[in-house]
Amino acid sequence: MDFLFDYIHVNTFWTIVLIVHGLMAVALLGALTHQAMAVLWPVRTGERADGFVARFRAVSGQRYAVAVCVLWVATFFFGAWLYTKYRIYVRIPIEQDGFFKTQGVFELKEHLVSFGLGALPAYWYLWTHAADEAYRSTRKWLTAWLAAVCWYAFLVGHIVNNVRGFGS
Amino acid sequence: MNETTQVQSLRLKVFVMVFGIAMPVLYTVGDMAALPLFTYHPGTDRLEWGWGPARKDEGPAMYWYGWIAMSTLGAAVLGGLAAALPPKLTARLPLCLLWVVPVLLIPLLVYSLKYYWRW
Repeated sequence: MDFLFDYIHVNTFWTIVLIVHGLMAVALLGALTHQAMAVLWPVRTGERADGFVARFRAVSGQRYAVAVCVLWVATFFFGAWLYTKYRIYVRIPIEQDGFFKTQGVFELKEHLVSFGLGALPAYWYLWTHAADEAYRSTRKWLTAWLAAVCWYAFLVGHIVNNVRGFGS
Repeated sequence: MNETTQVQSLRLKVFVMVFGIAMPVLYTVGDMAALPLFTYHPGTDRLEWGWGPARKDEGPAMYWYGWIAMSTLGAAVLGGLAAALPPKLTARLPLCLLWVVPVLLIPLLVYSLKYYWRW
């Protein structure tokens, strides 16, 4: 990687990595929220899907499954890569400034996204068998669980970036 | 679908289900019992097997990667073993454990982070 630093400043490089991580998280959040809404609050047969919320719920959840898996792994990869720099240049100053609860909720985020990573093979399997009624309940609640983790991770990442992100 | 394909599909299902249930359990055990597969020292870019303390003048030690590696490998082994069992033994595996287990583990994770909950 060092050859890159002949062309761009090291801080610019890590800023780009953080932005890519954030953009993929936005895409993942959108896909999972659509899918979770579609399974938790489905549009019933005969119900008109002509409003914004109804159209938001009316998507085919199955179409999002592969994208969610790819985005989760990619977002996780970039987050794990950033984590080495975070550990030295962000976490230590956060602790020195006494933002312990901020640090705690971020550590919890790292645990929960790891749980999500472990659930992806089963999530993928359940969605590739979307026609199987035996999997419907587990598929619904596993999707809702992943969406909840994604929202938590997104919001906490935002908070930590506000505490010590760009320009700090 | 012929019989061989059916058996392979069932084995894949058992593997992914057991993997998904075991991974968060092993991860939590790894966190609370300090059992990472390896420790990474980002200040010096050094890896060491198992749990290693932060060293003086070398910056912090990171265990998160080691917990993920340990729990992923362990869950893959358990998933593989479960997939090799006769189907009648694994047919009753409750699928809801896939999301119930990680939700139930959250209080343990919160407790493991008690150092940070200072009011």
